[in-house]
Amino acid sequence: MFEETIIAISTPLGYGGLGIVRLSGKKSLSIAKKIFKPKKQKAKIKPLRPILGNLYDFEQKEFFEEAYLTYFPQPSTYTREDMVEISCHGSPIILEEIIRIGIKAGARHANPGEFTLRAYIRGRIDILQAEAINDIIQASSLKQAKISFKQLEGSLSRKIASLRKNIIHLLSQIEASIEFPEERLRISPKQILKTIENTIQGIKKLIESYILGKTLSKGLTLAITGRTNVGKSTLFNSLLERERAIVTPYPGTTRDYLQERTKIKDSIFSLIDMAGITTPSHPVEKEGIKRGKKLLSDADGVLLLFDTSQNETLEDFKLLKQCKNKKPLLLFNKIDLPLRMNKEKVKDQGKNLPSLEISALKGTNLEKLKAKIHKIFVPNQNQGEEVILHLRQKLLLEEILDCLRGGGRLLKEGYTEEIIAEEIRKIIPLISQLTGEIKADEIINDIFNRFCVGK
Amino acid sequence: MNTEDEYDVIVVGAGHSGCEAAYAASCMGLETCLITIHLETIAQMSCNPAIGGLAKGHLVREIDALGGIMGLLADETGIQFRLLNRSRGGAVQAPRAQSDKALYRQTMKTWLERIPHLTLFQGIVTEILVKGNKVTGVMTLDWNRVFGKTVILSPGTFLNGLIHIGLHSYSAGRANELASRELSDNLKKLGLKTFRLKTGTPMRLHKQTIDWKHFTPQPGDKKPIPFSFRTQKELENKIICYIGYTNSKTHEIIRKNLDKSPLYSGKITGIGIRYCPSIEDKVVKFPHHSRHQFFLEPEGMDTEEIYVNGLSSSLPFEIQKKILKSIPGLDQAKILRPAYGIEYDAVVPTQLYPTLETRKIKNLFLAGQINGTSGYEEAAAQGLMAGINAALKIKKQKPFILCRDEAYIGVLIDDLISKGVEEPYRLFTSRAEYRILLRIDNADKRLIKYGYRYGLIEEKEYEVFLKKQEKINKTMAFLQKEKIKTKSNETISLKDFLKKPEVKLENVLEYKKFKFNLTDEEIRHIESEVKYEGYLKKQEKEIARIRKIDKEKIPKEVDYGKIPGFTQEVREKLEKFRPQTIGEAKKIPGITPAAIVNLHVYLNIQKREKCST
Repeated sequence: MFEETIIAISTPLGYGGLGIVRLSGKKSLSIAKKIFKPKKQKAKIKPLRPILGNLYDFEQKEFFEEAYLTYFPQPSTYTREDMVEISCHGSPIILEEIIRIGIKAGARHANPGEFTLRAYIRGRIDILQAEAINDIIQASSLKQAKISFKQLEGSLSRKIASLRKNIIHLLSQIEASIEFPEERLRISPKQILKTIENTIQGIKKLIESYILGKTLSKGLTLAITGRTNVGKSTLFNSLLERERAIVTPYPGTTRDYLQERTKIKDSIFSLIDMAGITTPSHPVEKEGIKRGKKLLSDADGVLLLFDTSQNETLEDFKLLKQCKNKKPLLLFNKIDLPLRMNKEKVKDQGKNLPSLEISALKGTNLEKLKAKIHKIFVPNQNQGEEVILHLRQKLLLEEILDCLRGGGRLLKEGYTEEIIAEEIRKIIPLISQLTGEIKADEIINDIFNRFCVGK
Repeated sequence: MNTEDEYDVIVVGAGHSGCEAAYAASCMGLETCLITIHLETIAQMSCNPAIGGLAKGHLVREIDALGGIMGLLADETGIQFRLLNRSRGGAVQAPRAQSDKALYRQTMKTWLERIPHLTLFQGIVTEILVKGNKVTGVMTLDWNRVFGKTVILSPGTFLNGLIHIGLHSYSAGRANELASRELSDNLKKLGLKTFRLKTGTPMRLHKQTIDWKHFTPQPGDKKPIPFSFRTQKELENKIICYIGYTNSKTHEIIRKNLDKSPLYSGKITGIGIRYCPSIEDKVVKFPHHSRHQFFLEPEGMDTEEIYVNGLSSSLPFEIQKKILKSIPGLDQAKILRPAYGIEYDAVVPTQLYPTLETRKIKNLFLAGQINGTSGYEEAAAQGLMAGINAALKIKKQKPFILCRDEAYIGVLIDDLISKGVEEPYRLFTSRAEYRILLRIDNADKRLIKYGYRYGLIEEKEYEVFLKKQEKINKTMAFLQKEKIKTKSNETISLKDFLKKPEVKLENVLEYKKFKFNLTDEEIRHIESEVKYEGYLKKQEKEIARIRKIDKEKIPKEVDYGKIPGFTQEVREKLEKFRPQTIGEAKKIPGITPAAIVNLHVYLNIQKREKCST
């Protein structure tokens, strides 16, 4: 499976100024030579030197595109195999043509993530790094790209390594108490419990950061709500910077909700334009409102709109009360129209809630709004706090957490150390899926480094 | 003796390993010769006067279940008995006994002398005789040739031993006893890789020069538990051990004189044992400890010698005296034998098959300290296995290999041959993957069938075991069937009741009368089986799963060069040994678990690809 030479387009799909096709594997260079001919006929392909030439369809015997080719010999490449990069104009048609001829010349189309898989298999990167690279490729926001980069540098690996160390410490504490009953080490169950609880806290922090990671990679959901005809769809469109929702002067135009992804500052948001909450008259509307309520409660953030050109209504207050616990951002819309609303009264009801005056239609304060949305809804990323980006890692951490909790519970119930050890030892294969394997010798070494034992 | 006779098995060295080897081979009906430098020091305990402890006690029980002698002898010559970790569960309880050293030695000699097919012979072996790549016998220092089909080497610290006291050193296998110097060179010539290890022993003091009131007595158990399943006699505690502590004054003396330590001055090059650190090691490594514990243990009944467990040292005699002076109660103590450190040669154990036969020389087996281990029990276990396997080889029967999931002996040997050692290897219970399964209370259930199969366990002994098993099975069925109502008014079986951490079998008895008359041994076994039931079931499942993977075949035509992710070393080894199954691949020294996973995944992908095309 891994001795074949693979080929793939490595730039994103769609038209771009530049497109890159990569080859990896033993036959990279010989395949490249079949499909690429240097401009200067006598020119030789030298390692790490881009060379100008033409792509060549060896079946039709015709040149079809100008390109640069660079040859990267193994082992100092990403996959630790011979690699070739062909860069040309970023037209999907041309790029796909290169792939087609490449395959004719003996390459195989790479499976998704196969370059990274090879890098991992050949020991170029550890599994955490492999996952991080995948994230850079698919990063939908700049912040996420930055996090991925940081992870690539191994900061998450370091966190996991420290977790691994904690587990070894815990095990050596338990094992020392078992193996050296005559040495008065005074390792009480209470002490073991304390180590377990400290380790649990550390893992919990890591798991919490997963939630942050998820919101950053999938986007935060931001619901726009308000009674009918306060301009939700207008705001929706201006935040999306295009006409997505149908906007009319008539109340209840939006009967179902609309959801679109957009970038605000450097973060991805999933914006939801909700049906105005009102007494439904139509079954479709009824269903729309019902779904809207669910969306509202699931949303990461809420924008609550008011129409300042109208008197405040009971419905306004009802809505405010309803989503108060979601800490909504109050938006006083339509400030381009004469003011009729008693804003102070509304603000008074929504004490301590942030607010802003805007005109969605005219775009007044739209930039301010974006800044505010970003400030309020994007979770603060502490310096040095890494983000777990993968469900797989989170699930493993949760399993580890379960083992620790199980061990702690049994300890409290009066079970003895060797049973606790069985629970904690279950962590060893789990943690070796996150980082290097824990060997029996490491635990024994730790015992002898920390406890003065042996006669 | 007629040197032209050919033995089936020659055992070189009559320590704890050699004695078991010779015993096993001769009991299996093979003509055996046990060669030792001094017949008087057969089975001498070179260091502490004790047998057993955590993991070590487990080993002795296993040796006993297989029909070896260490357990019987430890019971016979024990003068104080304790079961360690009584407050914990059965899996981590282990017996430990103080032994009468002289009696142990003499009894072993008497027993061995009376075994048919076994010849004891005094001599220093200098050379292994080899024809082609097969052993033919040994040569002694006085030019006696002893011929044999197989040779088991168990020279212990005598293999090129070098004793250090302070900066002085001299060649010896034990204090003032001749070392075996030529043999080590001979092994190297035969192509075996050797390395240097270091261990040590504390001073022995005169009992009457110790002021005993300064020390805390540590008596034996009220109801001693024997090592051997076969011991019939009531065990008796005849002595008391005492506990004492060093102090800051002691530590200051040690620190000041570190330059006189062969270890810290760089004179000793062998790798020291962390598991039995010298007192200077402890002081250096744990500078914040204000005191270190030691034990005063009598060396026997007919001697006044006291072993100071915990004060092992290779500092000069003068400093040893000063150390004692700093400890109230030992300030007047007379040293009968100084403490010393000893360096010796060991053979890199990854050169062995799981049978303990060398890969290089056919029919040459190595057992005990020569394989890099430390401890009487570790040595004895290897001796027994080497003895059985040498016998089986001659009988042309299948070798006897214990798995990691069936015995600590399996863990020990597998660790040695697959991982090798960097410092003297000591067994710990935490080295076992299946600790809950490998208990002292089920050693017979796990292993006695093998002892019986090889004729090391007698018919009568085996019948006793079967009867015990029957009684246990009936009791288990009873516990499962009988129900009681708990305080919270819930109906549970006696078995489930017994599973609660604080409940003992005697508490269960309060509810329902047993008709079974159970021994303490049986009670401990039943408690373990019930309390660990959940874990045992899970571990058994896991073992079955792994065994299944182990049996998976590796196609003959597999090209290891095509499997990604192997290191050069792993690839070369697989190409050289060409294992037929995953299990065989695992057993090749230097093949890492990661490489096994890699191989397994690759083979499965191949299989799938084959199926889909």
